[in-house]
Amino acid sequence: MPIQALDALNAYGRTARSIISGLGEAAPAATPTEVESSGGFAAYVTPLIEQTGTALRAAETASARQVVGQGDIIDVVTAIGAAETALNTMVAVRDRVVNAYNEIMRMQI
Amino acid sequence: MSFRNAVEISATGLHAQALRMRVIAENLANSDSLATTPGGKPYQRRVATFQTALDRATGAQGVRIRSITPDKAPFSRVYAPGTPAADSAGYVLRPNVDGLIEAADMKAAQRAYEANLNAIEAARGMAARTLDVLR
Repeated sequence: MPIQALDALNAYGRTARSIISGLGEAAPAATPTEVESSGGFAAYVTPLIEQTGTALRAAETASARQVVGQGDIIDVVTAIGAAETALNTMVAVRDRVVNAYNEIMRMQI
Repeated sequence: MSFRNAVEISATGLHAQALRMRVIAENLANSDSLATTPGGKPYQRRVATFQTALDRATGAQGVRIRSITPDKAPFSRVYAPGTPAADSAGYVLRPNVDGLIEAADMKAAQRAYEANLNAIEAARGMAARTLDVLR
């Protein structure tokens, strides 16, 4: 349990650091002041979700065009692949952060 | 996102090979297309040439079809006085399409297409495998 708690703290620390230094590719526009005012977790996850949404929309547009007969099957496959990767990334990061949060909540003080 | 770049580069390869396949299909389909006027030129075989295409946004070097140029190989001359395209001596120019060459080209296009598909699969597998570290 102590090791898991440390793991959670580490994950939180890493998240916060990556936001503040702007290293996270998903949150290039987030400045420290913005993060502090809007809450770290939300500020970190929002761009990630937006990026995923954009990729999913592109995939939908490509497949809709293909159904009508205007699109290219190659574009459909690559767009859906990109959307899938983005979604998987988002879900993995979310799970990680939620797990860290849960571990902190379970900690005995 | 270098994996996405890799997938996009491979996608340009897929596009190029698909277009090359279209040209080969045109050649094969027109291997019997004669001239419409007596003594005129029949269908001339066409060849797709490739070129590096630089994506300025990412600096990625993909590929594209530079041009589709006519093959300058000579037409074969066949005696067929009954056809509308025959000249006054009864000879007809036939397209310079060789089925064997087209078949080999088709196989090459198919192989290159599959190679690009494999590259896409490998890049996606690498990205997914990297994500698995988080889980």
